[in-house]
This record gives sequence, structure tokens and C-alpha cells, in this order.
Amino acid sequence: MIEHGPLLERLLAGEFVCPISDESGYRHLTNEETREEIDTYLRPLNRRLASNEDGSVYFLAWRQLNDSARDQLSRQLGDTLNSLLPLLEWLQLVQEALGRDTLAAPGDVLKPAEFSAKCEDNQSLRERLERLATDSFFGSQSDQLDAQVKQVFKRLKEHGYLLQPHSERQVFVVTGKIDYLVDMVRFIRDEENLPIEEGSEEGSGAQEALL
Amino acid sequence: MSGGEHALESRLLKTGSERLALLGKHADVLMQAYTRDEVPLESLSDSALRKLLAARILWRPDEQSGVKLAPKVRELIAEMLADETRRHVNADVAETLELIRALVHSYREARSRGEHGRLEQQLMRLRQEVDDLNGRFADAIDSLWQRLNSDFGFVSQLNDKIRENDRAQKQIARLLDGLALIDFDELIELVGSDGGLRKLLISQLQQQLSHHYTSLREVQRRLIELMARFRKQQARSRLISGMVAFMREHPGFVPGNYARRSEVPGLVNQAAPLSAAAAPALDRNLECRLLADLLHRLPQPRHTTQTVEAAAPAQAQESSLAAARQQALKQDVEHFYLSVIDQPQAKPVSALDYLHASPLEWPDEIWLFQVISEYQGLPRSDQKAFRLKQQESQASQFNHLRLIHDVELQLAV
Repeated sequence: MIEHGPLLERLLAGEFVCPISDESGYRHLTNEETREEIDTYLRPLNRRLASNEDGSVYFLAWRQLNDSARDQLSRQLGDTLNSLLPLLEWLQLVQEALGRDTLAAPGDVLKPAEFSAKCEDNQSLRERLERLATDSFFGSQSDQLDAQVKQVFKRLKEHGYLLQPHSERQVFVVTGKIDYLVDMVRFIRDEENLPIEEGSEEGSGAQEALL
Repeated sequence: MSGGEHALESRLLKTGSERLALLGKHADVLMQAYTRDEVPLESLSDSALRKLLAARILWRPDEQSGVKLAPKVRELIAEMLADETRRHVNADVAETLELIRALVHSYREARSRGEHGRLEQQLMRLRQEVDDLNGRFADAIDSLWQRLNSDFGFVSQLNDKIRENDRAQKQIARLLDGLALIDFDELIELVGSDGGLRKLLISQLQQQLSHHYTSLREVQRRLIELMARFRKQQARSRLISGMVAFMREHPGFVPGNYARRSEVPGLVNQAAPLSAAAAPALDRNLECRLLADLLHRLPQPRHTTQTVEAAAPAQAQESSLAAARQQALKQDVEHFYLSVIDQPQAKPVSALDYLHASPLEWPDEIWLFQVISEYQGLPRSDQKAFRLKQQESQASQFNHLRLIHDVELQLAV
């Protein structure tokens, strides 16, 4: 158990552990025996190990949902919902600004400088970034493009969606927590029966079945 | 007979080289034709155009339409450039098999008649056909791997990638169908007991084809995996843009409070962060020593020199009256210093004598204190200009406390 000390600490601190944020920790968590050990350890703390459906991120959940846990979860849901639109808009903005044909996914490398340069050249992107950066979730006070981008990246790092491998280099990597965010969106859509199309996944499912 | 054959062969060689040379001679025009729909005729002379048409490098589909690159040449260029958008996969196995059967029959005929020249020639052609068949599969597989390894990077849109992937998968299906046409039982019967043929058409071909089969299956598996990834990415993009559109349209949208349900959904259940804090504890001897050691190794706290501005708030806290008195005391002491400077022959002046001789009403102790602190507050260089002598006595024989009764200030000359 001693060797999992740092991993436990990260989990207890509320971090999401994925192959990007903690490769060796994540590898340990893919071992069922380790997961059971950690769960046993967490029992008196009223916590257990949880993951998203794909198992691409691990985090801690409440073991027993008492009143205080439910209160905390309600507050947290409220926070998640408040940050949902700015986060999703940011994802779209990155995709469009960098001319990518897919959303940012775990492991993708993002450079604020490249992002700034693209937004600088395009008035519409510039305006969208401005609106996003001054949203209360990102909370930029500046009217300078670079400062706004910096603030946005800083907040995303604080919330665990981005990782900065070298503190002196302005290069960020998207973490697996983005998967959790997308799962959350899908969950809300399904629960609330929102009229949102996701496209046909049957094709690939059928193909996989062929193998 | 053999002379005639020889003449034919040399004529073929000559024409072939001439026509191949045309490709190099008109390379620029041909490449322009490759990237466009039609050949730009303005840069070709009439005789050059005639030669290119005769060599079937160019062709004219009908009288009205322009001159175009022949499909085989287009394929050749795509192959040379590994241009995956246009590279064709063609493994027409059925026709090759027909040809091989015909060649084998012809070979056996020549052998039974003892025609050694023809025997050699048929064997060479058979070898070429087998190499060709083999090469076509190898090329097709190479092209598929190239596309796969670049994640279909030659098209930029995800939808195009999905279509290209689909196309590649269909090609694999056709290639696998082609492989299935090759029936080794039939070939074994066909070659009979001829050792050379058996080696070429059975052992060699079988080994090569089984290798191709494995490769194709692997490419197919990877393509399907990639397709699943593409579709997943596509679904993510659509989901996110759909949700953004919905939330913009319904600004007041609030989903249910999932935390209040009897069964809280797993995804929502995220425990509050907990920090595993620790503080230095002194209840174990061994650790105490360690802590002491750590304490000693702490860097010395640096006291930065306080500037006047930084000290200002402390002064502001004093009542303004006290501040004014302090200022007056300081001024009076400064006058005392000036009077010391004015003393003829730099005579020492007792601070208390000066005070008592003046109309000033400061208590003795405060006066002395200010005189000393004024001296200490002077810059080093100015301090040297004065000599401060303290008249003091020991307070008691039990300790080293000393009492100052008076100070004498003198100009140092």
C-alpha cells in the first residue's frame, strides 16, 4: 500500500487520474487487485474508487451517500452546470481556431501562443474569445488578447482539464478529465431527453461485431 | 524463324524506348494534365501530340472533348508519387489465373514437343505473371498501410476520412475475394509433376499469398479500429455542438438534481477533496533530532532594510500630538549638535549642561536618549566628525548593567 501513497494523495485531493496526468498511477489503477486494496483503504474515509464508463479516468466517489454528501454533490453539480457552457464553447473555439476536424482529446498538445495568433487574425474568433475569457468561469479582467488566453489556460489547468508538463514552457496537454466532461454532457442529454443528435454509432458497432 | 523473332524483339525494344522517352520529354505537360482535367494543348506541338496519342500516353475520349491522360499513365504517376487520393488498388486475380492456366498448357505443349526455346519463354512469362500478381497485392497493401499510418491525412475533413476509410475497407474486401479465387488444389493438379512449375506456382506463390493474406487481415482490423475512433470523434463533436446550441437557446435550462435521487448516478458521485495534512510532532525522540536538524537547515530569514515609506504606517498610528512632540525634540537635539560644531577649539559639550542652560523643558532621560540616538542615526561618515563620550557607571556589582549619567559631544578634529 505504501507504494500507492502519492497516488492516494492525488485521488483524495480530488484529482482525476488518467494516462496523461499520472501514467504510472493510472497503470496501477487498471489492476483490479490494486483497486480493491485502495477501496479497502478508503472505506473509513467514506470514499471509493470510481471511473467513467470507458475507464479512461479514475476519481473518488462517496461510498455512503449521507445528507452532507448529497449537499456537497448538489453544490458541485451546480458548479459543473455553471461552468458547462463556457467549457464547451472553449472546446469548440479551440477546434475552429486551430482548424482541427475533431474536438480536443486527451493527449492533444495545445499552445496558447498558436491559439492567440489564430484569434488575432480573425475578428469573429477574437470576439468569441473575448466573451469567453470575461465569463465568470474564466474571469479575465484584461482586455489584452494574450492576457485573456493566458487566464483561460490557467483556469483550465486549475480545473484539471489541462496539464502543463514544464512550468516555464507555455505548452499544455489535454487530460482525460475532458472525457469525463463529455460523458457528463451525454448523461445530461440522456437524462433530460434533450433533442441532441450524436450521429450514428451503429456503423462502427456493427463493424466491431464483425471482427 | 529465330531471325524474325530477333527482328521483332529489336523493333519492340526500339519503339518501347522511344515511347518511354516521350514521358520524360513532356514530363511538365503530363504532370499538368495529372493535376487538371485536360492536357494543356497550347504547350504541345502537333507532332508531339500525335506521338503521345500514338503511344497511348494521352487519349481523346471523343471528338468534342479535350485530350486527357491515359488511365494507365495516371495510375503510374499516382503510384510513383504514392498519391493516396488517386492510387488504385487493382488485383484482377481472375484474369491472371486465366492467363496462368493458358501459359501452363502452352508450356506443357512445348515440353512434350521438345521446343526448348518456347519452353524457356513460357516459363519466363509465367514467372513474370506470378511476380506481377504478387506485386499487385504488395502494392495494394503498401498503399493501404500508407493511408492508415497517416490517419488518412491526405483529406482534412473527418467526413472525408470516414469515406476514405470506407473505400479502403471495400478495397480490402475485393482483394480478399481475389485471394479466395486462387485454388491451390487446382494449381497442384495443373502443374502435375513438373518440379520447376511446382516451385513457382505452388510453394513460392502459396507462401507469398499467405503473407499477403495476413497483412490484409491486419490492415482490415486496424482500419475498422480507426473507423470506430473516427465515428467516436464525430459523435463527440456533434454532441458538444448540439449541447452548446441547446443551452444557448434555453438560457434558463436546469437539469434535475441528480444528487437527491435515491440512486445517485455513478458519474455524478464525486467525493469532496480531502487534504492529507501533517504537522511537525515532537513526541518521538528520533524525530525531534531530525526536526531540529531541519530547523537549522532552514534558510536565514532575510530582513530587508525598511525604507522610510515602508515605516510610515507605524508612524501614522501614533497620535499626531506625540508625533509633533517627537519632531520638536529631534529639532532641539539638532540645534544642540549645531552648537557643538560652533564651539571654539572643538571643546566637548555636556548634553545635560546644554539642556539646563537652555529654556528647553525636556526630561533629562529623554534628552539624553535622543542625543545618543541622533548620533547613532547619523551616516557613518558624519559619525566620524563627532566624538560621543558617555559618562556611565555600573548599576550593581552583580551584573554588567551600566547607567549613563550624561554624554559629552565633541567635534572630532
